[in-house]
Amino acid sequence: MDSIIAGAQLALTWQSLLAVLAGVVVGQVLGAVPGLTATMTVALLIPYTYYLDPWVGVPMLIGMFKGSLFGSSVTAILIKTPGTPAAAATVMDGYPLAQQGKGEKACKMALYSSVFGDSFSDIVLIFGASFLAAIALNFGPAEYTLLVAFSLITMGFISGARIWKGIVAMGMGMLLGIIGLDPVTATPRMTMGFLELEEGIGLIPMLIGFLAVAEVLRQMEHPVEKLATSAVTFSEKREDRRVSWAEFRSVLPTLLKSSSLGTAVGALPGISATVAAFLAYNEARRTSKAPETFGKGALDGIAAPESANNAVSGANLIPMMAFGIPGDIAAALILSALLIQGITPGPVVFRDNPEPIYAVFTALLLANAINLVLGHGLVHMARRVVTVPKRILFPVVIVIAAAGAYAMRGSVFDVQLVFLFGLLGWGLTKLAFPTVPLLIGFILMPILESNLRISMLIAGSVPNPLGYFFARPAFIALLGAMALLLILVLRRLLRDRQAMRAADMAGG
Amino acid sequence: MIDKLVKGALALALSAGTAAAQDYPSEPILLIVPYSPGGNGDITSRFIADQASDILGVNFVVENRAGGGAFIGINSCANADPDGYTICFISTSPITVRPHVIEAPYDPMTDLSYLGQYMLSKQPVIVRNDGKYDSIEDVIAFAKENPGQLRWSAAVPRGGPHLATEAMFRAEEAVTTFLPSKGGAIELANLLSGTIDLAVISDYGPALDNGEIKILAETSPGRNPQAPDAPTLGELGYPLELASFFALAAPAGLPDEVISVWDDTLAQISETEQFAQLMERIKAEGAYLNSADFTARVRGDFEAMGEATETYGLAE
Repeated sequence: MDSIIAGAQLALTWQSLLAVLAGVVVGQVLGAVPGLTATMTVALLIPYTYYLDPWVGVPMLIGMFKGSLFGSSVTAILIKTPGTPAAAATVMDGYPLAQQGKGEKACKMALYSSVFGDSFSDIVLIFGASFLAAIALNFGPAEYTLLVAFSLITMGFISGARIWKGIVAMGMGMLLGIIGLDPVTATPRMTMGFLELEEGIGLIPMLIGFLAVAEVLRQMEHPVEKLATSAVTFSEKREDRRVSWAEFRSVLPTLLKSSSLGTAVGALPGISATVAAFLAYNEARRTSKAPETFGKGALDGIAAPESANNAVSGANLIPMMAFGIPGDIAAALILSALLIQGITPGPVVFRDNPEPIYAVFTALLLANAINLVLGHGLVHMARRVVTVPKRILFPVVIVIAAAGAYAMRGSVFDVQLVFLFGLLGWGLTKLAFPTVPLLIGFILMPILESNLRISMLIAGSVPNPLGYFFARPAFIALLGAMALLLILVLRRLLRDRQAMRAADMAGG
Repeated sequence: MIDKLVKGALALALSAGTAAAQDYPSEPILLIVPYSPGGNGDITSRFIADQASDILGVNFVVENRAGGGAFIGINSCANADPDGYTICFISTSPITVRPHVIEAPYDPMTDLSYLGQYMLSKQPVIVRNDGKYDSIEDVIAFAKENPGQLRWSAAVPRGGPHLATEAMFRAEEAVTTFLPSKGGAIELANLLSGTIDLAVISDYGPALDNGEIKILAETSPGRNPQAPDAPTLGELGYPLELASFFALAAPAGLPDEVISVWDDTLAQISETEQFAQLMERIKAEGAYLNSADFTARVRGDFEAMGEATETYGLAE
């Protein structure tokens, strides 16, 4: 108990408070700029944090990461341009809500969900880090393969549009996803001789092009007069501007489920917040009583990805605290800040020298509170920015999209990709292909391929290949759970079809 | 008349050229980092730019041009004017290793001048501390008795540490299963969970302090200060050990004046208190080499890597 208080005191100085505050402000604003991810901003600032006291530097980093995850959702909702890839799934229901004049409500839902997901995973981290991390270590390549394969299958089925169109779109995404170095032989594959493609197509140029640029192209089809109005109008009705208690209660089950999912995914090193957001969205839609409202502005469709992606960021600290294995860059940066202090995360640290760990926990919770308060300010600001007429807003979006893609790695090639994917995205929408399965296929394919091929290599290295898989308790448990879920999905699909046919008959 | 004009212009250009070299540097210098922001290469490059800017009195522009496993950024550096106003950060893999196994857009031996090295990092061979292996001999013995059953990985597939270790196995004619990786942190998790039995990675600090892993050998010249008892691959008599260097380069054909300016500058920076602190913080070893010594190292490593690639078929 003394060490908890001592730890909290480390993180509750006015310098630390100011640092969290500054971190959240900078994170929210930069997170809203497409292409400027929190990771990149933080990376550029690391050299300066070396000169800071760690109890200023670490809280600032934490604030920045949390702020940027929310900041990126605001642009995803209002102008269909996710500030960071993690907010891509938020576009699906956030943007339709904004089109209905309920942008402010959508942003606030995103804010509450983000803070909920953050707090949830932080609490899990504080109480269960070593326990969860030990479970996560049982997840090897075989289990990752199952998890991803299952996600692809179910997402292909329930993309909303005709099933064959969903599958074609997902297949295209998967093909795009395998461009780059072959994960096993490390030789270039399908790069058409472009050195720039050796590390694969960048997720950021792809998302910015596919979502933002495609949307601008779509809007350009409208007659000139329509472009003088603003893209997003804001309803002045009170119920469209806030999230009521009843609404919050109705999404609470989704929040809990998605936060748990995000926390579980975050405890596995190597699966990103973007993946967690899509998984949670899909799961919320699968279990929803009204799946047809998804994609048209369902609050659950915002709550799920937003709480899941934030939960990942807290949970990434789980393997870091337990074994010193950083799950993502944010965790790696916090780890290095702790190491500089001579603190080695691991089982021993909780016994010998826990104060700094409790200080990190305090900073995490503090950042959540500040994010919640400042988030309202960002929504208010964004509201004023996006109500300019379309003929001004859209050119600005195009310029920011290009600059954002360029900023990632200083590559003109990526800017060209943005416009290429803009055209592709626009074309697919014209042909009534769903775009989300393409994104999911693109994001998941590299994870699926490398884990599948590594599993095969491992199976080939043991005397009894099948025995390798079935001697793994995690593999068997996962396989059982997924078979069950798949049956449920298929039953639902069949029932929907029958209902549709019955409705057709009644109509005819 | 025209002849005179041309000669005059030529003379003027030449004198301007030498004057420029003597005044070097008098304009802002572009430092290309061929990696995304955030890694140690980027961090140390920005530090060097910051310090060099104070010493030389000109501004530095640090630009990240990542992609193609650093080939893109280094290629744009190799193709710039050799006037000392475009330089780049380099590390081992795109200079002495990958050009042997993947076609590179530049020739590291003829297209670049090497300004000097400022840092070395250690790349040890590690195993779980569960008593299964106590030495490299134990590992080799297991691998020879059970062909294909030893699973291992390295942080950077086809990087120097990976291929040095691979050359060791091939020299012993031991058949192993190499699992490709997505980075040091994930391979550490795979090592702890038993997915692999041996890893060649550099981000292992906490696990070593917690007693979960053990260092068996070092893939670069010079023992690892974290494990002074573990021999290097060269000491064990294996064919390849490669320095894992952080250094600066520029286009080939640089004036001597520019090279001597950088010899002085890098030497001066590597002796500062701040530099020592930075090395301490990123757990690396400050190791300054001037242009001539570093060029010799690059040539030596490049040739050794070339021979090993031929002898042991490392390109396959």
